[in-house]
Amino acid sequence: MRKQILFILLFLPIITFAQTKSVLIMNGTAHLGNDSVIQNSIIGIKNGKIILVADAKTANFDKTAYDEIIDAKGKNIYPGLIAPNSTLGLTEIESVRATNDFREVGTTLPNIRSLIAYNTDSKIIPTVRSNGVLLAQITPRGGLISGTSSVVILDGWNWEDAAYKTDDGVHINWPTIQGRKFLDEDNIFPGPFEKNKDYIKQTAVLKKLFADAKAYNETDVKVETNLRFEAMKGLFTGTQTLFIHSNAVKEMVEAINFVKQNKIQKVVIVGGKDSWMITDLLKQNNISVIISRVHDLPTYQEDDVDLPYKLPYLLQKAGVLFCLNNEGDMEAMGARNLPFMAGTAAAYGLTKEQALRSVTLNTAKILGIDKTTGSIEVGKDATIFISTGDALDMKSNNVERAFIKGTNIDLNTDQNDLYEKYKKKYGIK
Amino acid sequence: MLFLFRTIYNMKKHLLSFLAISFCLSLYAQETFPVNGTSDKNHTIYAFINAKIIVDADETIDNGTLVVKDGLIYSVGTKIPVPQGAVIYDLKGKSIYPGLIDAYTSYGMQEPKRIFTGGGPQVESNIKGAYGWNQAIKPETDAVKIFTKDAKMAEDMRRLGFGAVLTFQKDGIIRGSGSVVSLGERRENELIISEKAAAMYSFDKGTSTQDYPSSLMGCIALMRQTYLDAAWYKADKTKKEFNISLDAFNNLLSLPQIFETTDKLNVLRADKIGDEFKVNYIMKGSGNEYQRLDDIKASGCKFILPVNFPMAYDVEDAYDAKYVSLAELKHWEMAPANLFAMEKYFIPFAITSSDLKDKKDFWKNLRKAISYGLSEKQALRSLTTIPAEMLNVSDKLGKIKGGMIANFIITSGNLFDEKTIIYENWIQGIDYKIMDYNTIDIRGNYDFSFGPERVLHQLKIEGEPDKIKATLFLDTTKISVNAVVAGNSISLSFNTKDANGTIRLSGNITNEPIQMKGTGQTPDGGWINWSANYSGKLISNTKKDTTKKDALDFGQVIYPFCAYGKPLDDHNGFDKYLTAFKTRYEAVLIKHVTVWTNEAEGVLKNQDVYITEGKIVRIADDITAPKLSFAKVIDGTGKHLTAGIIDEHSHIALSGVNEGTQASSAEVRMGDVVNSEDINIYRQLSGGVTSSQLLHGSANPIGGQSALIKLRWGKSPEEMKFAKADGFIKFALGENVKQSNWGDVNSIRFPQTRMGVEQVYYDYFIRAKEYDAKQKAYEALSEKAKTAASPFRKDLELEAIAEILNKKRFITCHSYVQSEINMLMHVADSMGFKVNTFTHILEGYKIADKMKANDVGASSFSDWWAYKMEVKDAIPYNAAILTKMGITTAINSDDAEMGRRLNQEAAKSIKYGGLTEEEALKMVTLNPAKLLHIDNKVGSIKLGKDADLVLWSDNPLSIYAKVEKTIIDGQIYFDNEEDAKMRIEIQKERARIIQKMLDEKKGGAPTQKPIFKKPQLFGCDSMQEDYLNNEE
Repeated sequence: MRKQILFILLFLPIITFAQTKSVLIMNGTAHLGNDSVIQNSIIGIKNGKIILVADAKTANFDKTAYDEIIDAKGKNIYPGLIAPNSTLGLTEIESVRATNDFREVGTTLPNIRSLIAYNTDSKIIPTVRSNGVLLAQITPRGGLISGTSSVVILDGWNWEDAAYKTDDGVHINWPTIQGRKFLDEDNIFPGPFEKNKDYIKQTAVLKKLFADAKAYNETDVKVETNLRFEAMKGLFTGTQTLFIHSNAVKEMVEAINFVKQNKIQKVVIVGGKDSWMITDLLKQNNISVIISRVHDLPTYQEDDVDLPYKLPYLLQKAGVLFCLNNEGDMEAMGARNLPFMAGTAAAYGLTKEQALRSVTLNTAKILGIDKTTGSIEVGKDATIFISTGDALDMKSNNVERAFIKGTNIDLNTDQNDLYEKYKKKYGIK
Repeated sequence: MLFLFRTIYNMKKHLLSFLAISFCLSLYAQETFPVNGTSDKNHTIYAFINAKIIVDADETIDNGTLVVKDGLIYSVGTKIPVPQGAVIYDLKGKSIYPGLIDAYTSYGMQEPKRIFTGGGPQVESNIKGAYGWNQAIKPETDAVKIFTKDAKMAEDMRRLGFGAVLTFQKDGIIRGSGSVVSLGERRENELIISEKAAAMYSFDKGTSTQDYPSSLMGCIALMRQTYLDAAWYKADKTKKEFNISLDAFNNLLSLPQIFETTDKLNVLRADKIGDEFKVNYIMKGSGNEYQRLDDIKASGCKFILPVNFPMAYDVEDAYDAKYVSLAELKHWEMAPANLFAMEKYFIPFAITSSDLKDKKDFWKNLRKAISYGLSEKQALRSLTTIPAEMLNVSDKLGKIKGGMIANFIITSGNLFDEKTIIYENWIQGIDYKIMDYNTIDIRGNYDFSFGPERVLHQLKIEGEPDKIKATLFLDTTKISVNAVVAGNSISLSFNTKDANGTIRLSGNITNEPIQMKGTGQTPDGGWINWSANYSGKLISNTKKDTTKKDALDFGQVIYPFCAYGKPLDDHNGFDKYLTAFKTRYEAVLIKHVTVWTNEAEGVLKNQDVYITEGKIVRIADDITAPKLSFAKVIDGTGKHLTAGIIDEHSHIALSGVNEGTQASSAEVRMGDVVNSEDINIYRQLSGGVTSSQLLHGSANPIGGQSALIKLRWGKSPEEMKFAKADGFIKFALGENVKQSNWGDVNSIRFPQTRMGVEQVYYDYFIRAKEYDAKQKAYEALSEKAKTAASPFRKDLELEAIAEILNKKRFITCHSYVQSEINMLMHVADSMGFKVNTFTHILEGYKIADKMKANDVGASSFSDWWAYKMEVKDAIPYNAAILTKMGITTAINSDDAEMGRRLNQEAAKSIKYGGLTEEEALKMVTLNPAKLLHIDNKVGSIKLGKDADLVLWSDNPLSIYAKVEKTIIDGQIYFDNEEDAKMRIEIQKERARIIQKMLDEKKGGAPTQKPIFKKPQLFGCDSMQEDYLNNEE
């Protein structure tokens, strides 16, 4: 027994280091994530960082300085995609209660932290990673304040390893003025929409909580510790972001007034289905938007039939900073379709590079991690992947290699194993 | 009939002479009730002279005489002698109308109450006794047995001019009989005019707490089965059971049949039942019939229509206004034209005051309908002779004619004029005073002055002529005035700031023009003079007296009645020309396009495709443009043409999806609840879908019968159906049918395990087999032998399952794990049928060899998994493996959102499993066509096939491909250019109506707060209890 432990202790660091060997990727088309493309590129990785990004024709480099040379001719290189506002690792099988860890009991829970429930061994994660999504913001759900999210890399032995930006922000679900009434207690039978009678009460709860928390965090005289208030400190000092989940225009306007009054510095709207109607207001207040799922139906019958598809374009045109996410039905397992949502956004107005940016650099900026990730630039983390074809198009997305902070990632999945197993059984190719 | 228990004792001479000239009064009925005190027999004759008598809508007698005796009209005419001893009323200047009839009320009925029996499913009826099996079928209810007069409501109705009503217990799907009763105040025994006047039906299960039916289609199936059961019950001479409900139902069938509907589409649905069982229902309409007039007309039904027009929305807040849909805006604007539209289309209808929240709105709304074009004659007919005929009481009610019941109203003039006062409502020969003859209608605006200053102020008088409400405008302050009118005198009292107390004024009214004058006392005791002179009419909320003559200034009906619907090519919104849609072309030619044939030719570059009469007629290098006037040539350079997408598994365009209350609901038909007004039809078109199979949900092992539609946006439900397609039925396995994820309360209905599911199938198929054999044996009998044999009971549920055994109906089975797939194939094998398609089939890859051996098809999701336990092993390679194993495999949506990008879902099988692009495309076109047995008509681009095509901007399997045109039967149903125009038109139309609403609000009309009514989206798991609430 003791021997075994010793064995593991000896080999663990070796395994880790062995995978962050230096790599030179040559001749691929590099989509940098910041709108630029280098057709014939040369990209160098060392010690988990990008050390070289250049045009192969003009750059000076030493092939022998790298452990591995990858010929990416005819292939595409991208920065790792980032899935913001995700429940990846917090759920395994939606309908099985025991596997769900994203919704805690209570209405105002800023001190709830998603990170510690994030299961790095979720069977879903490899299926997402293998499509190019290499980072995610793990976010709790429910209540008025669902809790505090963290950004993780989709690699790691445990949540501690995976943590990329711990406790990056607090998530508010802004109350809705009108809501669907359910006809039964279990919320199975949907009834008609009606006015939310508690709207004033619910917003008052938020207002009071923020006022109290602010006062608590500004004073040195603390009678008793309040975990909720403590958890909100960063919102007032500017080290954390306030994520306000809201879709309807009226509610967003009220939420923006709310953050102004509370002098919150970093604010992001999550959802923002109606955000195209208030782009000036968003810009004036420096508020960015994590756009609700692109593959969605319009809210109103009268809406342009392609409104969700072109919402990214509408915000791009108006100069609002935005990124894409996948919250909704089957969100965790559907996170692997994030690249194709960007593809759809490209079909409906964005350029392909802008679309890529909306799942990479824009997301990094919104999550406050753009200094180290989100694009292929020298000095940033070597979190990148190589796809044989256009990664934003499902017919050509084929991720061959992926690196997270320079670590070569295993792209196999359980699904793939089953595929191989049955191919063998039937003798098909 | 039980009316008028009156006894005539003293036959006097003059009366005898009367009898000679009119008719024989032979009412010698005697009453059974003892008298407490002195009996009060009264045979007074009433004569109304010098009246304008409106006999009916077509006959008016000026200066006529009406004689009434013993509750009946004795005589009417111009030269009628007034009998001796008659009480004479001189009605000079006044009019007499027949008493109005409301053919749809619950007058004098108790409000039915739903008694909850506690949580959990209720499989059986909880009505004790020898009744039928379903709690919502109540043919044994007789209104006459529960009717008790209601003085308050009777008075309200009399004030409106009604003298008799049809009343019934508004509860259940089959509601029993209704009675025609009088609105008088006598003993109930004397109020019943026709005790069983009509049989009443609806799609509302009412207070029934029994689970079945939980859906509209379940209601329809239950009703059909009841018709069949009742016929069998009647024919069966050797009754083994006595069934009160079926017995009562058979007795109802000879009455007029009245069906309550809550939507235009429900009219068509009810009519379909009527057609099947040879019943022509009288439809109680909902007020939106104008939205599908042609189909309504084609039903051949008569109608009873309400006048409950929607209230304007408060749309001042631009954000809130978004909650009000275009359909709601347009309906607000057009609803008052419903009656006019029906009249114009010669559809007979009665008018009812039912559905009005406040009965006082009846006249206001009816006058509004008249201002929208309804003729006064029709309005009168619809309130008198038509309801009387509908209810088989036209010999007693509806006209002012000798021998009929003396129900009539006395008015100051034209009944439909706003200024007209109803003075008296005579019912069964008894007068009910409504307003004093001397009442002067003083409603209006006045120049008012009081006190020494003689300054003019505005005084506004509104309300009812005998119950006025007055407001005084003193400079900028509004003061409410307490005002009472009695005959020619009036008193006013009010408080002013300056006066420091109440000013009380009394005075006299003189008419034409109205003037009021008098004196009064101030709080300090001083006497002052006052006067008020008529200055003009009130500005009415309904206003627009001019609309009658002008061209109608409300918008056009759009088909369907929601955003992205289109008006027909006509002038005033109602006439339908044969040319139907503006976008209808006789031929379409697409040039220089890349054609994905789905045939041996593969993908052809730079081809011209010629379409006419709904078919693909030519594919060639260069086709010259046709010389037809309605031809469209489309440049397809750089574009791609594919067969239309076929969604094998969809739940759009439905009013309800699950009848999951029993283990089998094989009797329900999705075809009964196709909803042509679902915006998702248009949205699917925008994603290239041309046909969808609408499936029952997956709540039970044997679901309902499927409907296959082409997405002919704008057409009626019947017109959307795919012609001559094979019938399908939905089966389901696994977690949904065993209710695994429905909470602990749902652990009663069988089955709760996969083991039970198998037994459900064996049980039903064995029973269906026996049923079928029995039926065949019965059918083989000679006609003579048939009459001798005990009759065969047709069972809709077993009938559908027998169709599977007879290869006339085919199974689409919701399935996930390999064990259950294997199980059903075994059941099929041993029972002698074949499963046509396993849908979802996410573990199909594990059992593909057996599926191949059983020759079954598959329709799957591309990459769904992990949403429940049974999809833990689902892999995105499934479709590819199945395809490679030679199984016909489709990709379906089961989701309104994904349904409009099925091309993308198909393309995932290129990524996962390496299928070719052509193979991938076939999974959403040709393969589903094969699975649905329609590949001889659609699914590929081939000469002679239906022109169901999609023009794409790019390779159809690319994420960057957008749909430019979606063509069905050679007609363009989605056109990206047209769509861009429509978006602007929708906003313009909204703005126009919103402006109108704002004007109304300014004019003082009441408004309602906008509430978002999101249409329900259905997936396999959707349960639905509230389909009536959601019907739009």
